[in-house]
Amino acid sequence: MFMKIQNMETVIEIEGLTKRFGQATVLSDIDLRVYASEVVCLIGPSGSGKSTLLRCINFLESYEEGSVKVLGRLMGFEETPGGRRRASERVVRASRLALGMVFQQFNLWPHLTVLDNVTEALRSVKGLPRAEAEDIGRAMLAKVGLSEKVRSHPASLSGGQQQRVAIARALAMAPKIMLFDEPTSALDPELVGGVLEVMRDLAAEGMTMVVVTHEMGFAAEVADRVVFLEAGRLVEQGLAEQIFQSPESPRLKAFLKSWNDRRG
Amino acid sequence: MAGYAPVVLHGLWVTIAICAASTLLGLAAGLAVELTRQHVRSLRVLCRVYVEGLRGAPILILLFLLYYAAPGLGLVLDPETAGVIGLGLYNGAYFAEIFRAGFESIPKGQVEAASSLGLSPLRILTRVKLPQMPALILPPAVNQVIILIKDSAVLSIITVPELTKETSKIINETFAIAEPLLVLALLYWALVEGVSQLGLKSERRLTRYLKRTEEGTRCS
Amino acid sequence: MDLGLIIGSLPALARGAAMTLFVSLTAIALGLVLGMLLSFARMSENRWLSAAARFYISALRGIPILVLLLMVFYLLPAVGLEAPPLVAAIAALTLNTAAFQAEIYRGGFAVIPPGQIEAARVLGLGETRIKTRILIPQVIWLVTPALVNEIIVLLKNSSLVSVIAVTELMRVSQQLVSKTYKPTEVYLAACLLYVLMNLCLSALGSRLRRRIGGASAGGRP
Repeated sequence: MFMKIQNMETVIEIEGLTKRFGQATVLSDIDLRVYASEVVCLIGPSGSGKSTLLRCINFLESYEEGSVKVLGRLMGFEETPGGRRRASERVVRASRLALGMVFQQFNLWPHLTVLDNVTEALRSVKGLPRAEAEDIGRAMLAKVGLSEKVRSHPASLSGGQQQRVAIARALAMAPKIMLFDEPTSALDPELVGGVLEVMRDLAAEGMTMVVVTHEMGFAAEVADRVVFLEAGRLVEQGLAEQIFQSPESPRLKAFLKSWNDRRG
Repeated sequence: MAGYAPVVLHGLWVTIAICAASTLLGLAAGLAVELTRQHVRSLRVLCRVYVEGLRGAPILILLFLLYYAAPGLGLVLDPETAGVIGLGLYNGAYFAEIFRAGFESIPKGQVEAASSLGLSPLRILTRVKLPQMPALILPPAVNQVIILIKDSAVLSIITVPELTKETSKIINETFAIAEPLLVLALLYWALVEGVSQLGLKSERRLTRYLKRTEEGTRCS
Repeated sequence: MDLGLIIGSLPALARGAAMTLFVSLTAIALGLVLGMLLSFARMSENRWLSAAARFYISALRGIPILVLLLMVFYLLPAVGLEAPPLVAAIAALTLNTAAFQAEIYRGGFAVIPPGQIEAARVLGLGETRIKTRILIPQVIWLVTPALVNEIIVLLKNSSLVSVIAVTELMRVSQQLVSKTYKPTEVYLAACLLYVLMNLCLSALGSRLRRRIGGASAGGRP
């Protein structure tokens, strides 16, 4: 697995990323690279900044210092001779197209059918004709095992099904990289499995994935690399087995221990 | 134009007096109707007719009924009285609904606690429910008073010498239109803003007992 | 009580009621567009635009409709815009209801989870598309009960346009009274017509409220 990483191209390159909310520094001086076809899990206690880091990658959050480059493109800013300038709305939108995102709260649009949720961006952003968009939409919904729910409204679906629709919605745009923000945290335990299953399949297909998660089992099983954050700092990163079997920093040890204790 | 200031001020004063009287009448009527609805089964339908009927009718037609039609039934009212009764009873229908929501928002447990201690229904009403009412109904009631103030302009049509009527007299006498109308609009706006600020201020005062003090928070 | 007179004047009153409905519904529809624009302006990041919208909403909510009506009717000709009474009436009611509708829509937008907008942004949807496809359809549905309520208020307020001689229900009944000298019968009949129209509307409103209450409760995870 290590060899695989060594030979791959860098798709996300984060250098010296610092993010503040008013007085509070929520991310400080983060360096992180993600390689093509890699699955990276971000773990850490709540409030450690892992979700914020994910949101900085597609510029849902702006940042004060450092840089986030996706496929070589600086997110949210333009380098000009006079210094760095905030990129226009249109440029930000274009640079986001390489990134799919799945949220903790699914964020489906409740007034649209499942199929319309999946095809909306295909039609309005990519400008595909309805029939073509719906073919793609159906294929994506089949992929997440929800072919029979095409005409349903999100409210009639279970949380797990809604999250799978949200994944299909993101995949329909054929992103190069998928970002997952605690995709199973809002789900009842018995519904988690279906969502993780879909994510496992995606990983097996070679999708590049960055996953903020509390599911240590999933991280241990699927992740190529695990990154541990605490209090806005990247404390430790490494191969999954290395992080879980032989953690180095005392903070990571404490975090894993408390997690194991809670598990019983 | 400045010479007309006393006329405008007089109109303003009449508007304020009429609105105050109508508000009091409306609150009394609203509370009476709501208590009747709660406690006198046989009059429930009548209360409903009052509330639904008055809320469905324009204030103007109610005033016309009071001022032009009532004399035919032997009830002759001067414009001010007709205006206060009309505005008061009309808003009473709205205040009744506001009181209803207020009573409904008192947790059942409070009443159960009181009756388990042996308090009589009247005692529960006067000691438990009514004292909480001001804080519970204040925001919607202030809102309703603001509507009442604006509705009071309609009284000019039945010749009550309030703000709008006095201002239109000026327009008729001086043929100036823009300035008087602008002053009129500004005065109403100021009146409405004033009442709404007053409402916010008293809301903070009235709900103070609901907020935990710093100390209380630390103890719990 | 002269029942024959009431029955005899029903056709005229019905025509008046039709005019009342026409004036009210036209103003509501125009107010919907203006109110939606105002609520967007109010929520805009542009400070001047937002302040202007806030000023408009506050002022128009503070001025009695009767006063606004007089302003539109008398001031428009003063600046060279000759408006027939019907146009002035609809304009005044529209200007008024737009301010109230703007606040209704703002309340509607506030309850839509921001995550839905983020999800749209992440997929690359433009701001206009987000408004027309994601926000407005949901908001219109969410605020229907409040909107029905606003129609009731406006329908009642429309009686005031009788003062500038628009022959809606109120004006027609005044005309009938001056012909028949029977204010009790005529005004009572007109009053009942208003109540009837509004009872139908409020029945519709509470029905929608039940439907929407159920739908939105299931709509949020």
